[in-house]
Amino acid sequence: MTMAVTSPNGTHALHNALRVAGWIGLGLIAVAVSLSDFLANAPANATAIGPFLASPSPEFRFGTDILGRDLLSETLHALDATVRSALPATAVTLLAGALLGFVAARLPRSLARTVRGLVGILASLPALLLAVLVIGLSTRDWAAVAAGLSAAPFTFVRAFDRARLEERATHSEYARATGISGTTLLRRDLVYEFRDTILSSAARALAAVTLILSTLSFLGFGAVPPHRDLGLMIAAARPYFLHAWWMAAFPAAALVLLILCARLAAGLDEGERA
Amino acid sequence: MLRFVSREAGKLALSLVGAMLLAAAISALAAPDAGAGAWHFLVAWGRALDGYAHLDFGHSAMTGAAASDELSQRLPLTLGLVFEGLGIALIVGIPIGLLFGAGPARRAAAPLIQILSAVPIFCAGLGLAFIAANLLHWPVPSGSGAAAGLVLAPHDAREMEALLLPVLTVGLAGAAATQLSLRRAGAEIAGQPWQTQLRRMGLSAWEIETVYAMPRIFAGLLNDLGAVMLALFSAAAVAEWVFNYAGAADLFVKSVALRDWSIVAPVLLAFAALTMIADFVGRCLAFPLVATGADA
Repeated sequence: MTMAVTSPNGTHALHNALRVAGWIGLGLIAVAVSLSDFLANAPANATAIGPFLASPSPEFRFGTDILGRDLLSETLHALDATVRSALPATAVTLLAGALLGFVAARLPRSLARTVRGLVGILASLPALLLAVLVIGLSTRDWAAVAAGLSAAPFTFVRAFDRARLEERATHSEYARATGISGTTLLRRDLVYEFRDTILSSAARALAAVTLILSTLSFLGFGAVPPHRDLGLMIAAARPYFLHAWWMAAFPAAALVLLILCARLAAGLDEGERA
Repeated sequence: MLRFVSREAGKLALSLVGAMLLAAAISALAAPDAGAGAWHFLVAWGRALDGYAHLDFGHSAMTGAAASDELSQRLPLTLGLVFEGLGIALIVGIPIGLLFGAGPARRAAAPLIQILSAVPIFCAGLGLAFIAANLLHWPVPSGSGAAAGLVLAPHDAREMEALLLPVLTVGLAGAAATQLSLRRAGAEIAGQPWQTQLRRMGLSAWEIETVYAMPRIFAGLLNDLGAVMLALFSAAAVAEWVFNYAGAADLFVKSVALRDWSIVAPVLLAFAALTMIADFVGRCLAFPLVATGADA
């Protein structure tokens, strides 16, 4: 128990190595997704490709499901569907969370505190329930937007707090003292913020929205058959997975791999909320 | 201390009012004419707010039961799951946070904890169910709520086994947040000048850790109590669905699917209020642990 007197500096090299590994992993996933139609042995939802509920074998490496679909092909198509929904959701989180949070911090003090307080209320709710609510208020077609919006409050609060620190930084004080306007300063800080943190923020948002989107699909609020994503594949495997483990295990492994790579690329601490 | 608690209580009150406004807006959607225009919606919102001020949350559009009755039946189940999960979170999270906080132990454990952190709650729940059913030969809950054998105070081994799966699922999610808070608090105080000064005064490393460092590390955990509770509630929402547990989150999901806004709104308010209160209590408990004489 030497926590209090041991410097954490030794972990920095490990963090950098893990971050690079995360980006390499995301790159490989992007390649797999873009070539999914080529890599898959069968088109999406093609039934009776093999025997029903066959366990993994050299012929069907991930086995088959209750309708005789090749699970390797299905997992690749579902990974493609998951990533395609997650990308617009990530953009929504970055815009509604990171960008608005950064800008809101530069509003007049009382207004900024009010906005921060209102968004803080949304951030005190489980993001999943917020996403379910947004879908309830709209339709399932808006699942990606709902996932993006539900991940946004936490991102907003983080961006807001960072921007407040930036505002109190020495360069901001000098800029204000020399008559540079608040808008010019905001523009300058936004450019630097974008340049320095966009990649890690995007990876972090990708991890968060993938988690929310897959859980939404698992609960029946996300993807609709026949367009199956990984969450829906796992939900479909639920009645059978105790005996046919491969039906849930491979889509779950693909989902964990995607989230893990995004978390590593974002440089998240172990256990840190995405 | 009094000034700090008053300030935090003021923030809590404002947040609760904001959460009530949000919940009343959702509840107003249940009014028949709420969709007829902005003015009609505002009138319905005002009526809902008036009802909330008198603790009248409206009635379910599906069953006709009072929303407060539905909530009082379901919320204790979720709270039980969350508090039993909190116990697991502390039992698992505190040793991990303290032992793997720094040094070679952290470097060894980091990849494993990263992988575990990337596992969605529903996958973790299904994984635990698979292990329980195939390796331990425990019953996996089927049916719904009490019919699935899920009771908060188990009387026999079968009930205990059925309850352990959702509690473990929720607890492990809380453990991740707990160990993170402890590690961050530990990293924050690592190498601070007062530690060197205390060593120069002749105090042993053990004394410095137990008397001076530990209270600050646990203050960090208390400061993050709101985040830990949020992690537990998020996990409970999924665990209830995976294990057919008829709690408040299950009620929320089913009510949204049925557009039963009078039920959705108070559940949302309850979750927000509980997280905010946990945050407030945590901050107030942490304050004396780190306050200097002048602050207190």
